[in-house]
Amino acid sequence: MIDTSAGSAYRAVDMAPYANNVGISAAGHTSRGAFNVWGNSFPAEHLPESGAPVSVGGVPFRFPRVGVGDDNARCDGQFIAVEAGRFDWLHLLTASERRAEDAVEMHFADGSVDPEWLRVSDFWAAPAWFGETTAFATPTMHYPHHVQRGVSAMLWSQRVPVTRRADLSGFRLPRNAAVHVFAATLQRTAVPEAGHDQ
Amino acid sequence: MTSDFATPAVTDPVPTEAPVLWYRDPISCLQSTFASVLARAGMNPLVALGAGWEFLYIPNDVRSEEFYYPCRHEGDLGRSLFPHHDVSSSWWCPADPDDPLRELREAMAERRLVIAAVDNFFLPFRPAFGDVHAAHLLVVHGLDERRGLVHVSDAMPPAFQGPIPLDDFLNSWGSANPQDRQDAFFSDSEISRRCLSVSVGSLRGGGADPGPERLAGWLRANLERFEDPGTVAGLGGLAGLDGFLRESTFRARAGEVRALQELYPFGWGMQAQAALHGELLRDRGAAWRSPALAGAGRAVESVAHAWTPLRITAAHGLDDPAAAADDLRRHAGVLRWRHTEAVESVQRALDEL
Repeated sequence: MIDTSAGSAYRAVDMAPYANNVGISAAGHTSRGAFNVWGNSFPAEHLPESGAPVSVGGVPFRFPRVGVGDDNARCDGQFIAVEAGRFDWLHLLTASERRAEDAVEMHFADGSVDPEWLRVSDFWAAPAWFGETTAFATPTMHYPHHVQRGVSAMLWSQRVPVTRRADLSGFRLPRNAAVHVFAATLQRTAVPEAGHDQ
Repeated sequence: MTSDFATPAVTDPVPTEAPVLWYRDPISCLQSTFASVLARAGMNPLVALGAGWEFLYIPNDVRSEEFYYPCRHEGDLGRSLFPHHDVSSSWWCPADPDDPLRELREAMAERRLVIAAVDNFFLPFRPAFGDVHAAHLLVVHGLDERRGLVHVSDAMPPAFQGPIPLDDFLNSWGSANPQDRQDAFFSDSEISRRCLSVSVGSLRGGGADPGPERLAGWLRANLERFEDPGTVAGLGGLAGLDGFLRESTFRARAGEVRALQELYPFGWGMQAQAALHGELLRDRGAAWRSPALAGAGRAVESVAHAWTPLRITAAHGLDDPAAAADDLRRHAGVLRWRHTEAVESVQRALDEL
């Protein structure tokens, strides 16, 4: 089970309301996916089950629901509100239609806003150029009319820092059609705030 | 000598040595095929492909081909891609339609690699096989007419090296590459059995390490071209970039599909060039313990990354160009700013070299 309870170091973010793209398809219905402009998509048979808890490099995510409509958020400036709290990292299961780097806005309960870099490598048989953790590298790629062996679809686990020592109340994805977010998890601040050491 | 296409004057099969497969995710078949040919000639592909960096857009020149590149020297991709090296290239087509393999046969006999234009639709190893028409390049490194095989090399995923049936090659090489609704960017451009012959002269620092002094010379020349592109057939330098971005957004807002259609292939060449130039600077900066050079490389790579949303927004906006105009303008602004930062970073790096 994915543990994102109050005592856990992580809190899963429900991305389902922001999904606007079908990036994963079943082998029998490859034309239903269109992660990129060519209609390529991730092969569902080589990814976790729909809605399953997954752990990537120790970070828990809730995998999106697959096969029931949109399964990821193509970045379009969506604002994702979260229950206010102290966090150090925003972890994302993400992939890009070619390498991209853009800003995620971190919004805080005190009204402050910080842009932070989100850097995502290409999903099409590419290396983790920005040093992401490889979440899934599939042995096939889905094309609109066939399943292609030998071309991997890459799903990355990338992290974005929350540098401000304040309560995070939400984050805003960039307006960048190349970047897709499949799941998000916030990592709580590890060490409670303290005053100057005596 | 004349020969009959149906019964060509075949020679013994030429032993083939497959060329190096060289690939980076931002590049296209243009850079990967040239890399194979240059590596065979003893050049380091990253050094050669990464030496030059400029902006050039030639109006009404962009073609629906993965390998389109705006040539500063008309018709000479090699000289345009490698401004600091002794490389040139020329397109040719078979002189004798009754023996279209004659020139390839001669090249293979002389162990010369040839870059051939093809249509992916007819190539069994390409994902588009039997599905999508798209103009592409591959390297021909062997011809075995007795067995009806052509040995080809293609570094673009899924990478392939090996023999394919001669008939498949001929169909692909001679394809009309008709308009294909599945590919708005690389179809509708006749292949016409085009080939590229590449000529490589002296290495001119094209080995593994050009050395700081030679690299500094390349960087100064690149920066000069951003400031003053000289006499070019289109929009060059930073001023040309400004004009191109302004014009593209204007045309999109006016609903001109063509403006968005050409951004994808045109932008690929610019993106690949920036990515490779940036990688070379970062690589040499690390090797020479020059943080400024390494940082400049990363700044140039950010230019490459800024091409992504511009190209992708255009690609997804074909159905309604006007609706994409605001996003294009914003991404164009970021791309322009990245150029400013990168040019400044390279200028500062020169002080360390």
